[in-house]
Amino acid sequence: MTARISPVTGHYVNIDVQGDELRVFYLENGSGQPLLCQHTAGCHNHQWRYLLEDEEVTSRHRVIAYDLVRHGKSDPPLNREWRQEEYKLTTDYYTDFIVALADALELEDPIFMGCSFGGNVTLQIALRHPDRFAAAIAVEAADYSPGFYLDWWQHPHANAAQVCASGVWDLMAPQSPDRDRWATWFYYSQGSEAFKGDLYYYSVDHDLRGTLDQIDTSRCPLVMLTGEYDYLTPPEASRRTAEAIAGAEFIEMKGIGHFPMSENYPVFKGYLMQALDLVARRSSRAPAPQPEPEQPTVH
Amino acid sequence: MERTETTEVKTRATEEPAEVARWAEEFRRAANEDAELQAHGTYYSCSFLLDLEEHQVVVRVNRGQVEEITIDPGPLDERYQFAIRASADTWSKFATPEPPPMYHGIWAATFQRDMKLEGDILVLMQNLREVTRHLELLRETGVPVAGERS
Repeated sequence: MTARISPVTGHYVNIDVQGDELRVFYLENGSGQPLLCQHTAGCHNHQWRYLLEDEEVTSRHRVIAYDLVRHGKSDPPLNREWRQEEYKLTTDYYTDFIVALADALELEDPIFMGCSFGGNVTLQIALRHPDRFAAAIAVEAADYSPGFYLDWWQHPHANAAQVCASGVWDLMAPQSPDRDRWATWFYYSQGSEAFKGDLYYYSVDHDLRGTLDQIDTSRCPLVMLTGEYDYLTPPEASRRTAEAIAGAEFIEMKGIGHFPMSENYPVFKGYLMQALDLVARRSSRAPAPQPEPEQPTVH
Repeated sequence: MERTETTEVKTRATEEPAEVARWAEEFRRAANEDAELQAHGTYYSCSFLLDLEEHQVVVRVNRGQVEEITIDPGPLDERYQFAIRASADTWSKFATPEPPPMYHGIWAATFQRDMKLEGDILVLMQNLREVTRHLELLRETGVPVAGERS
């Protein structure tokens, strides 16, 4: 039997964010306009595993899925006594991280796409850095998403790995395949140390109520996608958000939940292709001509 | 309060239709034969009340085995560590093979519908993986309440 070696490759890059020395891990595949992908809170880049190997997308986009600092294979800051501080992710730090990474990788006109707390920061990116990114796709996002900054994620009397993993179980749709729901559960059992601090951003620091009208979609086209089984950011929250942003598009995704790219990629892909088509048509900066796809190399 | 040592479904026979007792037995059997609960249930020991509006059910689990299900106990008959309460309508939607959005789990129904998690929530969190799976078995057994099922 011939071994099947994935064309997806992993790399580390060192960046500086607000004085923190960070070693960031990312997976990538494809060529063309960069598509920079942010995972959900308390998780890592394997949530984008199917997108990274989808030739219909990677033939046109250089798909990059990174691990945020303190997640997956991106270690906590190298030059700080991080164990002596309570981790609380802020909007300023998060957006600075994303821009520093895009700069370090010298990405030209990238599309930024994030889900959940990554979806919320996608709105922040569209607001704060509309000229650095060609477009933004916010998945499971809202202007404000209170209610998930809970002590249970790190309570010493409970099994944090299981509380985090089973605590987000209902965020997925019952129709999504068991295999992919359980893979997502498994990823969540690995991220409990960062989950609560991520949710400080998600449920506390992220608050765009009253400022959505400052997002300029003529500079950075914005599409929002939300699954009907998402109880944290239900479709009505995303719709309300999109309606307050001139030019933003909202698409409700049927039969899927809060981790669409990970829990049921075939369903998500249909909506993602609509979103990519919408941002391509709305973008004032046409992507560069598409080079021929590179042959996969093994590193 | 007398405690039985063996698996038992306790009902107040003069008040309780046999149909509810049959459901309780089916729910007990489903848990005790479930591969996932049995693989991970070594430390799954707790007691909880399911308030289905039309019926109240106390479930007592010891090391992954449902040892006792009490249907509609009297006011001072049973003690339990936490309670999950919702309307009959919510439970009837929850307990379908493919629940509609926001009725598809205890977190979803608590955040977005009328479900309430009460009592010692720490015990629920300590057993969250198992309780989540245990209650999903209701998708197979249904619940002994009518609801609207719309």
